[in-house]
Amino acid sequence: FFCRNLFTRKQSARFEKQHDVGWKLFGKVPLRENSQKDPKKIQKEYEEKTGRAHRPLSPKQNVRKNLDFEPLSTTALILEDRPANLPAKPAEEAQKHRQQYEEMVVQAKKRELKEAQKRKKQLEERCKLEDSIGNAVLTWNNEILPNWETMCCSRKVRELWWQGIPPSVRGKVWSLAIGNELNITHELYDICLARAKEKWRSHSTGAAEVECEDAGFSAADREASLELIKLDISRTFPNLCIFQQGGPYHDTLHSILGAYTCYRPDVGYVQGMSFIAAVLILNLDTADAFIAFSNLLNKPCQMAFFRVDHGLMLTYFAAFEVFFEENLPKLFAHFKKNNLTPDIYLIDWIFTLYSKSLPLDLACRVWDVFCRDGEEFLFRTALGILKLFEDILTKMDFIHIAQFLTKLPEDLPSEEFFTSIAAIQMQSRNKKWAQV
Amino acid sequence: MGSAEEDYNFVFKVVLIGESGVGKTNLLSRFTRNEFNHDSRTTIGVEFSTRTIVVGDAVVKAQIWDTAGLERYRAITSAYYRGAVGALVVFDITKHQTYDVVDRWLKELYEHAEASIVVMLVGNKTDLAQAREVPMEEAKMFADNNGLLFVETSALDSTNVEQAFETILKEIFHKVQKQKQRSSQSNTVSLASESPESTAVAQTEKRPCCVAL
Repeated sequence: FFCRNLFTRKQSARFEKQHDVGWKLFGKVPLRENSQKDPKKIQKEYEEKTGRAHRPLSPKQNVRKNLDFEPLSTTALILEDRPANLPAKPAEEAQKHRQQYEEMVVQAKKRELKEAQKRKKQLEERCKLEDSIGNAVLTWNNEILPNWETMCCSRKVRELWWQGIPPSVRGKVWSLAIGNELNITHELYDICLARAKEKWRSHSTGAAEVECEDAGFSAADREASLELIKLDISRTFPNLCIFQQGGPYHDTLHSILGAYTCYRPDVGYVQGMSFIAAVLILNLDTADAFIAFSNLLNKPCQMAFFRVDHGLMLTYFAAFEVFFEENLPKLFAHFKKNNLTPDIYLIDWIFTLYSKSLPLDLACRVWDVFCRDGEEFLFRTALGILKLFEDILTKMDFIHIAQFLTKLPEDLPSEEFFTSIAAIQMQSRNKKWAQV
Repeated sequence: MGSAEEDYNFVFKVVLIGESGVGKTNLLSRFTRNEFNHDSRTTIGVEFSTRTIVVGDAVVKAQIWDTAGLERYRAITSAYYRGAVGALVVFDITKHQTYDVVDRWLKELYEHAEASIVVMLVGNKTDLAQAREVPMEEAKMFADNNGLLFVETSALDSTNVEQAFETILKEIFHKVQKQKQRSSQSNTVSLASESPESTAVAQTEKRPCCVAL
């Protein structure tokens, strides 16, 4: 905090200095100028004033270098009289020009001041935001996390939770909220990983099948699963460049997905998992990420999707549509008319828990509340997206809606987004999500 | 709205299917945006792209559904075949396994799509010729025996990509024309009349179609 205060003071001092310089530099110019001057001299003086002299390290130039922005062109405007070889301006005209010049400088000055104030405000806001994050970290670390069981459901915590969990405690909170119903230990992770590695080795040397408890799965399927993991790892957040071959998290992601196929051979690897594991890796240590990953996928909604239980998925879609109609009747009718079914957009959103379709920071905030509220929040988020873009979507036809929803705009406004999620009621004719 | 892109006589729904990693997404991005991405993201569910081309004196808008290739997803993705008038079944010429399962993809396709759907077998990644595992003759023969169009492409160096899509769209167009002539009195002109939503074959009111309705 000390550092930050110092920084603010420095910043404002800098602004003052700059204004000072600006006045002296430009305000005096017209007064000092003689009417009879040869152009070369003017040029030289101008260069000196603006610090563009040939001497490379004039003090003025140093000052300029320290400013975080160059004076605007209007501020740098210097009023000069006509060159000597031309007839002088009439006094009246000269007076008028001087006046106009002064007005221009005043205007420019005003604008600069305004901008400086705006910048200062922005900085203050950023500091405030950082402070609030800093305070939130303290609250999470000192108050909430040590008393998790008693505090996690209190109103105050739930509200703080909605604001977004600070990145430094995010992993811990996720772990606690997801829980470890499966009682997976770090040792179990090591065992699964070792088994996965053995499989890879035998796979690459072309040895005979390694017996594993995945009865009912042919060798070809298993092979395909290993191939698929390899294929998908480099296709997970490719723009982050950390999961690709040679990237720092490539092996970690590979390990977690491989270990999972050994832990749950009945589920195996299904596309979408790589994105979920990747987000967890970004917030947790490897073994803890594995524990959270396995427990997360064990939740009813995730199990239904990752086992591709079509019947159950349709049940989820039907429930979603009940709330869709309730919350956004107009858009719902428009979608029905265009035969835009939820499987077109929801599959991607649910399988990757929004990590593929939303910007990563927003996706993490969705995960925050998903950890708090459970699967219901995934569908609430979907409705929030539809609500946010309701006006645009009602004007589109089938293909444009489909394209829009499968490729959401990258600059989603986070506050508006969460406001529209908050406006979604997950209650239909007195029935809650679980009942529907 | 009202832009040149919206001015068309027909909309054809075409699905892209085939194993994961054979390059479906890149074939599509090459055709619609002339882009290729070495690390394109895994497709989950379905993604969409469109492009409008001229066939004869008609303007055809291709509405292409790029589906996820994962075997496990088939239960979901087969729902996307409904109302499609064309399908590109893509395999990777450097991975025999992706060719071996073409049969299964076709079966899936015919189960859920119109019988009259135009299907093209596409062997992708010809730029990796040194790693070829599927001989062109073999795939060509398979296509001939099964009444499929056939082409080999490279989304990376864009060989035959344009041609592949153009060929199938023309073929669909001709099929529609023939069907129309046959049933000139009736209103059922589309290949997939039961699904109005996907506008399998639609006509805009702005420009009269080249064939009298």
